[in-house]
Amino acid sequence: MAAGTVTSPLIYLNNAATTWPKPQEVLDEVARCLHTPFFEPGRSTTGTAVDYPAEAREALSVFFNAEKPDHFVFTQNATDSLNLLIHGFAKNQGAPFHAVTTELEHNSVLRPLHALEAQGALSLTTVPFRDSRVTLQGIREAIRPETRMVVMTHGSNVLGSLQHIRPIAEYCAANDIFLIVDGAQTAGQVPVNLSEIPAGAFVFTGHKALFGLPGIGCLYLQEPGAVAPTRQGGTGTDSRSLVHPQDMPVKFEAGTPNYPGIASLLAGIRYIERVGQDTILTKCRDLTGRFISGIDHPDIILYTPAPDLPVVSFNIRNLECDEAGYILAGAYNIITRTGLHCAPLVHDRIDGGKGCVRVSFSYLNTPEECHRAGEVVREVADGANR
Amino acid sequence: MREYLLESPLTPEFLAFLAVFGTVREFPHLKRPFFSFEQEDFISIKGFTGDTTVEVRYRKEFADLTSDYFHLLLFYSREGEPGIRKMREIEESIREKMRMRMPR
Repeated sequence: MAAGTVTSPLIYLNNAATTWPKPQEVLDEVARCLHTPFFEPGRSTTGTAVDYPAEAREALSVFFNAEKPDHFVFTQNATDSLNLLIHGFAKNQGAPFHAVTTELEHNSVLRPLHALEAQGALSLTTVPFRDSRVTLQGIREAIRPETRMVVMTHGSNVLGSLQHIRPIAEYCAANDIFLIVDGAQTAGQVPVNLSEIPAGAFVFTGHKALFGLPGIGCLYLQEPGAVAPTRQGGTGTDSRSLVHPQDMPVKFEAGTPNYPGIASLLAGIRYIERVGQDTILTKCRDLTGRFISGIDHPDIILYTPAPDLPVVSFNIRNLECDEAGYILAGAYNIITRTGLHCAPLVHDRIDGGKGCVRVSFSYLNTPEECHRAGEVVREVADGANR
Repeated sequence: MREYLLESPLTPEFLAFLAVFGTVREFPHLKRPFFSFEQEDFISIKGFTGDTTVEVRYRKEFADLTSDYFHLLLFYSREGEPGIRKMREIEESIREKMRMRMPR
């Protein structure tokens, strides 16, 4: 064996990016989906296969307590959903308007907004966070008479803070402002009841806490008339017409969908429902608490002392974050995420823009993995500061 | 970012050579002793002491100018003082190209 070869078992702590492993029933459903010809309503005559898109929309409407299954639109991921909504809303406006976002956002929000700002399609106000949260008061202070859209996260991917979205959604609804909520970090992680959040749209992805495959995302659009489609193509319906259909969900879905991805999302939701959303939340919070207790060390700078989500961000004194990540992976086989986590404005505030190490747990992590990871991070902090 | 598999581990002499051009940091008290090298705008190198794998990163804006830099360092480190002089010339030549590219 070569000197220095890692023999420790893999500990995967990058679940806020993509959960791994996936539940066995997700893998089984994807295999089942691929073993039979796809059911493609309007496109093929296959009669025996499962209609995954229809079943998944029904399952999503129950899971999120949303009224209209057909208002769930499948996309590639949360970034794709956000682009569809942000660019589609701006296109529908037809004239420059004012938009509001926050410092907590991922580049999947910031970059589309800044691209539109550069084109002169909108002017943008970015609301700062305080104690890891953006408040209704902060949003209200940014609103102008010409504000038409607010885009904000439901949960920070760096700070793990859940945002109190309901009062913001109610305020936006009462003032005719289209609110897009980025639920990439919350869908599947905490209970989300869309009947209690009157947002214009809720965005999420399949490959994080919903345990699906990468490549399947989704959005729920309350009022389809607020957003213009930015893509056209085959839908399997109204094929005689050269104009793209305007009924949901095909208004925003052109081309062959990602059937295996949708099957994985469906199986992921069924898995969460079988285990119980509260059970998942309780375990993930327990894992997070254990890890935070385990990294109590004078040379560890913790940015998330009490996160709502299973996300812990920190730095080790005397090590750059990517050095710490390299050591954790190369010497201990512990996979983390280092750097800016595509959320540069958060890092400007917490670590001077240098980035940090993030560990993030899933329901399928174990207390032993948590304990070991805490022990290792302390050991690295000791070794780097002797 | 590129990962290089070397024929043999980087030597203490090579790390001393690197220190002429940037900052070498060594962490001998870790479970796997670790080192890093940073030469601003040029490259950063990370690896475990005694390991044959190193990770080399290039600044994206100048990657076309610096992509061979690691190989040049390896080559000229064998020549001692003349190698240092040669690398200084190469460094200055690349820096001049970087300056021309920077917005005024």
